[in-house]
Amino acid sequence: MHSGTGGCDSLPRVPARQPRLVDHVRNFCIIAHIDHGKSTLADRLIQACGAVEERQFRDQVLDDMDIERERGITIKSNSVSLDYRARDGELHQLNLIDTPGHVDFSHEVRRSLMACEGALVVVDATQGVEAQTVANLYLALEHDLELLPVINKIDLPAADVERVREEIDQDLGLDPFDAIPVSAKQGLGIDEVLEGIVTHLPPPRGERKAPLKALVFDARYDAYRGVVLYVRVVDGRLASGDRVRFMHTGREYEVHEVGLNRLRREESRGLDAGAVGYVITGIKTIRDVSIGDTLTHAREPAQAPLPGYKPARPVVFSSIYPMSSREYEDLSAAMEKLALNDAALVYQKDSSAALGFGFRCGFLGLLHLDVVQERLRREFDLSLILSAPSVLYRVQLRDGEKVDIDNPAYWPEPGAIESVEEPYIRASILLPEKHLGAAMELCREHRAATLGTGYLARGRLEVSAEMPLAEVLFDFYDKLKTVTRGYGSFDYEPLDYRPAEVVKVDILVHHEKVDALAFLAHREKARARALHYCGQLEQSIPRQQFKIPIQGAIGAEIIARSTINPFRKDVTAKCYGGDVTRKRKLLERQKKGKARMKLVGSVEIPQEAFVSVLRTERGR
Amino acid sequence: MGNPANRNVSPMFGSFGRQGAGLYVHIPFCSAICPYCDFAVTVGAPPRREAFVRDLLREVALWREWREPFDTVYFGGGTPSLLGADQLLLLLDAVRTHLPVRGDARIFFEANPEDVTHETVSAWRRLGVHTLSLGVQSFDDRELRFLGRRHDASHARAAVRECVAAGFDTMSLDLIFGLPGQSADTLRASLDTAVALGPDHVSCYQLTVHEGTAFGRRRARGRLVEMPEDEQAERYALIHDVLARGGWRAYEVSNFAREPRHRSRHNMKYWRHLPYLGLGPSAHSFDGARRWWNHRGIEAYRAALDGGERPVAGSERLAREDLALEALMFGMRTVVGIDLRDFHRRFGVDIAARNRRFVDDCLESGLLERAGDRLMPSATGLAVADALAARLEL
Repeated sequence: MHSGTGGCDSLPRVPARQPRLVDHVRNFCIIAHIDHGKSTLADRLIQACGAVEERQFRDQVLDDMDIERERGITIKSNSVSLDYRARDGELHQLNLIDTPGHVDFSHEVRRSLMACEGALVVVDATQGVEAQTVANLYLALEHDLELLPVINKIDLPAADVERVREEIDQDLGLDPFDAIPVSAKQGLGIDEVLEGIVTHLPPPRGERKAPLKALVFDARYDAYRGVVLYVRVVDGRLASGDRVRFMHTGREYEVHEVGLNRLRREESRGLDAGAVGYVITGIKTIRDVSIGDTLTHAREPAQAPLPGYKPARPVVFSSIYPMSSREYEDLSAAMEKLALNDAALVYQKDSSAALGFGFRCGFLGLLHLDVVQERLRREFDLSLILSAPSVLYRVQLRDGEKVDIDNPAYWPEPGAIESVEEPYIRASILLPEKHLGAAMELCREHRAATLGTGYLARGRLEVSAEMPLAEVLFDFYDKLKTVTRGYGSFDYEPLDYRPAEVVKVDILVHHEKVDALAFLAHREKARARALHYCGQLEQSIPRQQFKIPIQGAIGAEIIARSTINPFRKDVTAKCYGGDVTRKRKLLERQKKGKARMKLVGSVEIPQEAFVSVLRTERGR
Repeated sequence: MGNPANRNVSPMFGSFGRQGAGLYVHIPFCSAICPYCDFAVTVGAPPRREAFVRDLLREVALWREWREPFDTVYFGGGTPSLLGADQLLLLLDAVRTHLPVRGDARIFFEANPEDVTHETVSAWRRLGVHTLSLGVQSFDDRELRFLGRRHDASHARAAVRECVAAGFDTMSLDLIFGLPGQSADTLRASLDTAVALGPDHVSCYQLTVHEGTAFGRRRARGRLVEMPEDEQAERYALIHDVLARGGWRAYEVSNFAREPRHRSRHNMKYWRHLPYLGLGPSAHSFDGARRWWNHRGIEAYRAALDGGERPVAGSERLAREDLALEALMFGMRTVVGIDLRDFHRRFGVDIAARNRRFVDDCLESGLLERAGDRLMPSATGLAVADALAARLEL
């Protein structure tokens, strides 16, 4: 069974009940660090409210993508309405709005938070507070959410509830006595959580009589119905037949259907202020939807849209090529399909002399990039080569023109460049005190300026730093994990653009530029990366008939070099009457094997060489 | 399978001009099996050899329809020198009687040093052998023992002297190099000895370890480690160097001749797509468009003959692209290289244009040389001939 709120049209749609009073509604989300059990807790809440039959139950109902499930993270937010009869006997509607668990999707997190009045803050009883817990907590506080701490995994032998209470107090500044100990896995404490939601989190406030303001916090493409919008009605009332307008884009549509998400869509007559539900308007493509936009009535529009709207902007760029150029059409179709449900994925056709046709893609972050490539590989069975990820640089040209460049192919001649700016992030690193030295060293290596170090509970520190986004694109995560023996965690948010000395490094194989391997880098980092490329290529390009120099160059200046020595003896001794056929067949096989080679100049480079160079660089 | 055994052989050989076809006769017997050998060989006592000669005579008679005149007759093996002069005469008479062997056809004969005596050599001369090819392999006793040869170095020297003195038109000797641990010095010593003995032709083969041989089994058990590639290349260069200074020029990967006339007219047929007929177990034949091969085992070979059939085990028809690939492979193995114009005419591929960048790089790095329409490998190019053929696109 494919779960999820969209696309289950074969199931009968039941008219949805809505609570009589907005006081009986709670809109909440769950914020947690990866693996702290957010999805499991969500599943238990859903199960406890009977929203899904036991026998239909599949763990982690909200995460309906394999990759999300595997990585234990939620990428696309989703929502579900639960009926809960509280201990006071009153029926409540609990709208659980799922949030992506990763910082790449912080704009999505923000939108989800904006749809809520409260949040459960889940902390792993064995791990304690982590960087994402803190980062998301800050976001939640920014949005004035009421917070209810939940200590999960209390069933584990390593659980230390008291220690975590202490961290909740000191690191998060929340009342540790509110914290509800649970084991989502074993279903312990779930009723207390539900009761806590009702008693601790506030009901929505909103003017039913005011002009309509509904926050579009998510959208899904449904093959039968077109785009399904997920909305939180802040003011007014939204009903089918209404003519609505997106306040930022100005587009207008007629509402075909509204309703609640109860794992499947349940149509209702209208959605009142405070409600969370879905809207179908006949929008054909997700590209026409601007998530975070405000829906209002075309006739009596609201004065101003809801605050905090920021269109999703890609910050990490990479080119994706099919391993075999014959697969380009397949890749093209796959990209189109992925984009149906991923409005944040931007792409355009790209071509490389070495790798043929592909797509230049923009992602919200590295995780987004990983998810997209994983989906292309698994769901579409494609073999891919990805160029080195890049950030978007702002380039001031001598002639006064300003250009934004993410692709080394379009980098201007150095002489034409007046100045360059690169994107910075504010990074937050949580780690045990004893690893501080190593982490600081790592930060220095990655051009991070430490802003401050704050003591959290029990020997844990929070280091906040400003650093170029480009510095975390490669191996920062992994190195951090290594130097902190797995105990460090990391989160970031975009900051601003700052001047940087950025150069384009060309990789030359046998004096020929390999366009797919060119990269943009800070001048200080250029040589080390170029050496890495040269070393990797030396290992992965098979020996050829002659000596192959591999060079990294900034313009005409060679900054790195390695050499592939030629093979010197490759011939069988005898080729007489009885040997000819066998030798020819061997040759045919060799030539077939060469079909998997990319030709650069006269040098054959196996596709695997591109893959290995570009993959090992990221250390994943 | 279109069995050439059952059809009239009437290939179009017009383009081959004066060049005739080659006749190969495989004598599969050896006094002992060398541990590196993967040929169709067997240890056969005299009665078996006798029976085999009769088989060959039957096979010869089955090819009376062959039309293309032979200008070479090659006795290879195995060890043809295990046959007596009377047996050889019988075979030569038969092929001359039943097959179109030209009067001026060159007779090639492979012999092992232990079979060389004044008498045997005189007999081979009387039989009309033009090119005597002696399986010396090395002039180093340790290497000869390693190779499982039945002669020692002094015996080898004496045999070569005997053959040289006998005044064959072309006296050739075979050497094997690239033995595990073979030093440059021991190889140089063998080469110096060869040069001093003054043969007209030298074949110098890199030791190849084949699966299914004694060496192959030793390698599998880790008891034989082949010479590393770089050392092979150095030894190969040394051979070219020493032989060139002695006056022998390479004309193929493993073959060196003092004068162009000493080049193996027979072997060159294989490399020029000239027709050849192979008799005896495992022998291969080619008629310009089709290649076929005899049963490898002597029993299957005999059984076919007993049934009155040619002992052909299989055949293939060569499409134009197969021939092109072979021509490319041969071209990279021989110093005549490829005549680009001729190649284009035969196969519709302009190799130099199709591989412009690669050919330029090869010319620059000295792997290939260009003379007019001819593209040919240098000595370093010959050392990587297989890689060149694999890399050049058709």
